Amino acid sequence: MLLGVGITFVAFVLTHLVPGDPAAANLGQRAIADPAAVAAFRAHYGLDKPLPQQYLIYVTNLAHGDFGESQQSHRPVRDDLAEYVPATLELASTAIVISLVLGIGLGVTAAMNRDRIVDQVLRVTTLAGVSMPTFWLALVALYIVFFKLGWAPSGGRLDPGQLPDAHVTGFYTIDALLAGDWATLTSAIAHIILPACVLALYTVSLLTRFTRASVLEVLGNDYIRAARAKGLPERIVIGRHILRAALVPVITVAGVAFGSLLTGTVLVETIFAWPGIGQYAYRSATNLDLPATMGVSLFVAVVYITVNFVVDLLYGIIDPRIRVG
Amino acid sequence: MRISHSPQRLLTGGIGFALLLMAACGTSGNQGSTSKTLVVDKSFDMKTADPGREFEISGSIVVKGLYDTLLTFKGSDVTKAVPSLASSYDGSSDATTYTFHLRHDVKFSDGTPLTSADVVFSFNRMKNIKGNPSFLLAGVTTTAPDPYTVVLTADAPNTAIPFIVPNPALGVVNSKVVKANGGTDAVGADKSDTAEPFLDKTSAGSGPYILQSFSTTSQVVMVTNPKYWGTPPAYSKVVVRNVVAATQSLDVQKNVAQIALDLSPDQASSLGSNLQVQQSASPNVFFMFANANPSVSRVTSNKNFQDAVRYGLDYAGLVQLAGKGAIQAAGIIPSLFLGALPQSDALTRDLTKAKAALAASGFTNPTVTLEYPSDITVNGLQFQPGAERIQANLKDVGINVTLAPAPVASSLANYRAGKEVLGYWLWGPDFPDPSDYLVFLPGRLVGLRAGWAAGSDPAVEALGKQAETTVADSARAALYQQIQKELDLHGPIIPLFQPGQVIAASNSVHNLTSNPTWTIDVASFN
Repeated sequence: MLLGVGITFVAFVLTHLVPGDPAAANLGQRAIADPAAVAAFRAHYGLDKPLPQQYLIYVTNLAHGDFGESQQSHRPVRDDLAEYVPATLELASTAIVISLVLGIGLGVTAAMNRDRIVDQVLRVTTLAGVSMPTFWLALVALYIVFFKLGWAPSGGRLDPGQLPDAHVTGFYTIDALLAGDWATLTSAIAHIILPACVLALYTVSLLTRFTRASVLEVLGNDYIRAARAKGLPERIVIGRHILRAALVPVITVAGVAFGSLLTGTVLVETIFAWPGIGQYAYRSATNLDLPATMGVSLFVAVVYITVNFVVDLLYGIIDPRIRVG
Repeated sequence: MRISHSPQRLLTGGIGFALLLMAACGTSGNQGSTSKTLVVDKSFDMKTADPGREFEISGSIVVKGLYDTLLTFKGSDVTKAVPSLASSYDGSSDATTYTFHLRHDVKFSDGTPLTSADVVFSFNRMKNIKGNPSFLLAGVTTTAPDPYTVVLTADAPNTAIPFIVPNPALGVVNSKVVKANGGTDAVGADKSDTAEPFLDKTSAGSGPYILQSFSTTSQVVMVTNPKYWGTPPAYSKVVVRNVVAATQSLDVQKNVAQIALDLSPDQASSLGSNLQVQQSASPNVFFMFANANPSVSRVTSNKNFQDAVRYGLDYAGLVQLAGKGAIQAAGIIPSLFLGALPQSDALTRDLTKAKAALAASGFTNPTVTLEYPSDITVNGLQFQPGAERIQANLKDVGINVTLAPAPVASSLANYRAGKEVLGYWLWGPDFPDPSDYLVFLPGRLVGLRAGWAAGSDPAVEALGKQAETTVADSARAALYQQIQKELDLHGPIIPLFQPGQVIAASNSVHNLTSNPTWTIDVASFN
């Protein structure tokens, strides 16, 4: 409760400290000169009230699930978030799955082949992966994979004009699956793969490097030698003994990376015309759309709190030594 | 042996997984449209599909397809309004009363006949919502003496009315449907009208299209209106998508989109020859001003300093910087409109004159700050390169310019408060009539932003008043030209250039034209 009030207070104060007038940013060049239009705008969004009163109203409404109305979309922020958060969540989840599968797999591969050619190649490529700016990579991927090779669509969540199935989860792939709509499912998968791969590249590289380092550290332990000496199959040595111990720091990194993926997708979403929370945040911030900016800030706070909580739980599952009690 | 074999399998598996993903991507990689679907790529500034509230570029494209207006423009010619819902109209000699005679065969998409009551409702609602387009009918009363006649009465002579009513924001809605869904045209509609969410889902117009889906961030889908009274459009479905310029360029070349609207002149020059590319002067005018208010700046309010700026700028260089299709703004009224100055009247650089003016001002190497928005792109142009060029030009004269870019949300407040010492901005037309540019006169909207108070230039102000009440086009054109010549020579506001407007389209799109009011009319293509 206290954390929630603190987050809303800090977000509210910082959002309102930004120099500029929301009326000037949202009304047109003529309307801003019309006192009636300006007064109507201020009254509609409660900007005509003192700041402390605005905050109290905001918090009271928030307690009832009302995030206010966006000055850009003219819709309740709650509805906007309900539309855009699943889009980003679907993209980020796909990216993190790709990242975990490839990152851990390649990290183990590199560690088990330490200083061999496979390891050398992976070290160089992952260094490149963490160094490449995502927006640049997105443009290059779009140019090569879509424009030159024609292997992927250019942008959006579905083909132009194609409508999603009834909103159940907001994940177009899952909603299409639930509806048994294979055409939409195929389209949704085709559209998500390229931006997810682009988004995942940094995390794949990061996880590969962390997994490699972590596995190498574990490999030197006596119990690994003992496991091998007992004649355990190598897959069991890797799966049960090496990975369980090595994954704890990797999960921490993956958790932070997932939070970053969820809240840092603006450039990828823009280039791939992906209507997610990143685009919404950018548009809201540049237009001084205060209710929307507040909504996004709260979303980001909730993401990081949730991710940290989940990561703490995972520690205990992966490494029994960490379990409380 | 097994130790090295297992990781290799993992690596192979990883690559295999990646290939599988890429294969999945290939399933619908090239989504070329059918011949009946038109895909338009646009970087969205979309807020609503409610004609009473929209006043954005993306919104106008959509609303133009969904709603009809009393008059319209043919193609890109905005010098003459032509019939649409109104088969004819008459204007009084004093430009205060305009009578529109409606067609009798127009039906809304639900089959309800369109009458003058719908026009009155739509216009009053738009006005009383007090939104962005409400100023269009400020001081104008709408009445309906009979079901097929509409009368607009202005408090003061308003020669712009025939050029205002084609604006998509004055699209006529089905009053019965909108009222049933929370709409009202009464005074206080800014608080009581709740029809916007409905109109963002379902259109209630008589236009060539009806709304199938609407999103302010992804796409708007329109399909043909089976009850449309005019010639049915060639495309049965239109998709307007939110796509950034870099992606638009690839989309239009791959024919994923048939039209791209936000390419810069540089991007346009790299397009293949299998596309049609229109590059003409946009109606947006980039200008700068030296604040004439002495309390804001003692330096810039000096008339000689203003002359030093005026003659110190390299206009040809700025036009070249703006790219292909750009032209110098000879006056503040864009070249497409009645009353525009010919290029022969445009200002030219004269460094000797500029240096002499600076010397006469009494300021030696003054330092002034130039403010401009740093985060907006108009016609593919950002303000930063132009600001840097202005800085370099004025350095040649002996004026030191400090650049002060800021996000538009912040810089607008300073600009609109008239506090900027030097400002670099643009004006996009609200309606294609020269009277829209009277705001640049002393004591008016933009004049005040440049610190030019009423009474600063009585001669120009008198010309402005005369232009407002003059009805005949030839006389109006002459008056507006005279005003602009005075502004060019003595005003603190200096018109710079009109950037090129690029529209790239697939060769399959015929009759490609653009219009300053709604950019493109998707129903006009075939």
